[in-house]
Amino acid sequence: MSEKKKPYDYVESPFMLTRREFVIIGGIIIALLAVPVVWLRSALVNRNYYIKARTKGLYQDDVSSKIRMSHENPAIARFYKEFAGHPLSAVSEELLHTTYVNRMNALS
Amino acid sequence: MTDSSFILKHPMQVRVFHFILAVSFLTLAVTGIILFQKPLQEAAMNTVIQIHVVAGVVMTLDALAFLFLAFDRVVMFTKRVFTFSGNDLKWFTVLGGYPQKILLHKKVEVPPMGKYNAGQKLFGIFVLVGGTLLILSGWALWTLPHIIPHGDTSMIGTIHLYVSWILILFLLVHLFLGIYMVDDFKAMFLHGRIPYEDAAEKSPLWVKNDICKIG
Repeated sequence: MSEKKKPYDYVESPFMLTRREFVIIGGIIIALLAVPVVWLRSALVNRNYYIKARTKGLYQDDVSSKIRMSHENPAIARFYKEFAGHPLSAVSEELLHTTYVNRMNALS
Repeated sequence: MTDSSFILKHPMQVRVFHFILAVSFLTLAVTGIILFQKPLQEAAMNTVIQIHVVAGVVMTLDALAFLFLAFDRVVMFTKRVFTFSGNDLKWFTVLGGYPQKILLHKKVEVPPMGKYNAGQKLFGIFVLVGGTLLILSGWALWTLPHIIPHGDTSMIGTIHLYVSWILILFLLVHLFLGIYMVDDFKAMFLHGRIPYEDAAEKSPLWVKNDICKIG
């Protein structure tokens, strides 16, 4: 049985790339492809960095504060004694409490 | 050499990879421009996003399949596009003789090139590096925007945008020259072979150094 003739007469030489070149270039390609994967992993691992830093800052503020609880604040105590009466009074509700407004539409 | 001699320039796996890449990238380019310009209503824009994502997945699978199934071709392509000589600089000074040929119908002397001319090498570098960046940034923007820090997501979006524009501009030139060189166009999309004489004229160093007779 005769072999079917190929529609071309020449091909690229299989020896145009040496084994050393193949290993070096192939290694560089794989290493470069790994770089963004490593970066992405690092970004994911550190994704809560901002929250953790903010939490740490708040705790530090708390430790260094002389007045650490709102009901021990003389200004607040004076506000209730001389003006608002007591917490959750009608005056304090009106002046200190806020209401929820959906602003999601303003972002888009 | 006889007039009937042919060289297999693009093996089957390269042709299949290139065909899927061409279809998926053209789809991504068109839908990407629509997403950037936002000319449609919300429902149509959502459909465009879905088409963009599907085409992106197809392009990724195509690239991964070629990387794993034809790693030797990837290495060979990388070596070729990153191998430079003085001839490449000289090629750029006459831009391969194409402007003179197309606009002035004049033939100027062009330095001998390998399988890829200097312009194709530059395009190849952008396709390798830019294509990889586009795929990785696209996946990050699609699947992980809620996990990646905001600043990094923004940076990835900017990279995706600028690399896309660069590759789209390159693609316009690539499309024009691809169709202009009809033998190479047919070789890439149909049978893979080009006439020996044609290759000897356009890629003399490739024919001289990298080609061997079969049988």
